[in-house]
Amino acid sequence: MSKNLYQPVNSEIVDIIDESPTIKSFVVVAEEPFKFKTGQFVELTLPGEGEAPFTPSSSPADTEKMEITIMKAGRVTALLHESQKGQKVGIRGPYGRGYPVDDYVGKEIYIVGGGVGLAPIRSLFLTLVDRIQDFKSVVCRFGAKAPDDFIYKNTLFGAWQNIDGVDLKLTVDEANGDWNGNVGVVTKILNRGDVDVRNAVGVVCGPPIMMKFATLKLLEFGFAPKDIYLSMEKNMSCGFGKCGHCMLGKYYVCKDGPVFTYEQIKGYRNIWD
Amino acid sequence: MQTVFVSELKPFFDAVAEQMDLYVPKKTGAHYIYDKYDPADEAAVQFNNIRACTPVKEFLFPLRELAAVFPESLEPEEIRPFAVFGLKDCDLRSIEILDKVFTEEEFEDSFYIARREKMFIISSDCSEPGTSCWCTFSGGQPHAEKGFDLNISMVGNGFVVEVGSEKASEFVEKTKDLFAEVPAEALTERDAARTEARRRVDDNNAEYTLDEPANEVVAGGYESDVFDMESQKCVECQACTRVCPTCHCFYLYDTKREDYFAKMKMWDSCMRLAYAEVAGGENPRRVLGDRIRHRFMHKFAYFLDRYGINMCVGCGRCIDADSHKMDLRVVLKKLNEELKGAKEAKVAK
Repeated sequence: MSKNLYQPVNSEIVDIIDESPTIKSFVVVAEEPFKFKTGQFVELTLPGEGEAPFTPSSSPADTEKMEITIMKAGRVTALLHESQKGQKVGIRGPYGRGYPVDDYVGKEIYIVGGGVGLAPIRSLFLTLVDRIQDFKSVVCRFGAKAPDDFIYKNTLFGAWQNIDGVDLKLTVDEANGDWNGNVGVVTKILNRGDVDVRNAVGVVCGPPIMMKFATLKLLEFGFAPKDIYLSMEKNMSCGFGKCGHCMLGKYYVCKDGPVFTYEQIKGYRNIWD
Repeated sequence: MQTVFVSELKPFFDAVAEQMDLYVPKKTGAHYIYDKYDPADEAAVQFNNIRACTPVKEFLFPLRELAAVFPESLEPEEIRPFAVFGLKDCDLRSIEILDKVFTEEEFEDSFYIARREKMFIISSDCSEPGTSCWCTFSGGQPHAEKGFDLNISMVGNGFVVEVGSEKASEFVEKTKDLFAEVPAEALTERDAARTEARRRVDDNNAEYTLDEPANEVVAGGYESDVFDMESQKCVECQACTRVCPTCHCFYLYDTKREDYFAKMKMWDSCMRLAYAEVAGGENPRRVLGDRIRHRFMHKFAYFLDRYGINMCVGCGRCIDADSHKMDLRVVLKKLNEELKGAKEAKVAK
């Protein structure tokens, strides 16, 4: 008999990091070895309360622990935000298909991210940086509502700015405090000359509206739909293509995604809703 | 296939019930629903001339079940062997579809499999298909040729019993005193009844013939207004998906028990407004017409694309259950006409 698909691995929240007024990162250690590939997601259970899908934001290379960055957006995430170090949780997974990093070798990787969408992107970024010489360049354009809303501030404003092979630019919708960088939505800092579309892939993750307009912008730059990778947020529940909640056209986002090329999903209705 | 004969159902039911739990269809109002067989209840011995109105999935994938507990882990409970009498070909084909989903390699649902392995299927021929029956549309027919342990056909003076599995062979061997040789005329009579039942289904559905396979008709109508038009009649009761023997969506939720936490699994419906909604409030199928569209696409195109089999068995339960009489056949026919019209217009150009 195969093992119970619905049984989470007992785990514990060992640390909680405040990222922004509405976003925290939870460091989770599982009782059993738990490996994932960048872009795959897990189902995190708060016992007795509920379960929700999240893409880990840490590097898959760190097999001791996993970081999950969570925005307070609904009932379960609000309860998670109230939890303390030592909270017992369950994790199932990892599920789905992540970023096909090996397919990006030799190319420029144009990453557009916004808000809590930087969570999956951080995992991808760390994976790419680990083998940065394999890629022509990693070009990042990240946005947040206001400077304080950026997550991973320490690295984003610090170490990540100074990695050879990485070109990172940030923007905020509304500046305040001592922000003297770009102001405007993230699509405003996307420029045709940022990458050579003939040898580049686009990666987009963020709020639905941002994903829509960033994708349109990349198409306008000449990206082929098959070269734009989108991490789709749908209502993934079982994680293995049975319960049906996350279906996007013929795809189960949990099993066939959550990373899709725009080519795969462009024909379906309401993909950004 | 080994074929034997039994003149009465009662001793047959009793013999089955001695070896395992037996569920039989009981007429309740105009329909049959399943109940556990009680040998003392004479009324429990019925030959259902049509499928039950409830779907067979309830035996394999119950309405609500415990899926996991914390902090200890949960394994499926020991399931007692059980038999279900009176399943029809459409029911057997619905099991084939559920098997594709729940026994899929790498993601086997151990709860489903635990029940499936203990299920003894006693199907029977459909002698009086209903007006909503359209099994022949999806490659079925009013009698089963595979997928059963035993199949029963009612004839004038008794019942022809076909033996379809090793398990069933053992049963017949063990209870051989019950069975007689099949009289030659019984087979002729059975075949004639089968032909007649098939003719009835075909006649019922003559007006719903499509020009292309259903998956092409539905996929071709993806952007059609037909779904939105239909949605104006729909009251969102979700009955169509509850009674559907192949709909298998479920909802996982967590709950607290006295001294442990539980994860439950419960039937869900893609027709429910919040079904696809995410925590931030976005919902790709907020509009009812989009939910109906998705249901049709899943039934007739997406599932076929993934598993190589059509997800509708043509049992007609959803047609019977729909309070506003949304009829899948009518919707498909409308899409068919639209597609045909569009093609003709293209040719004319």
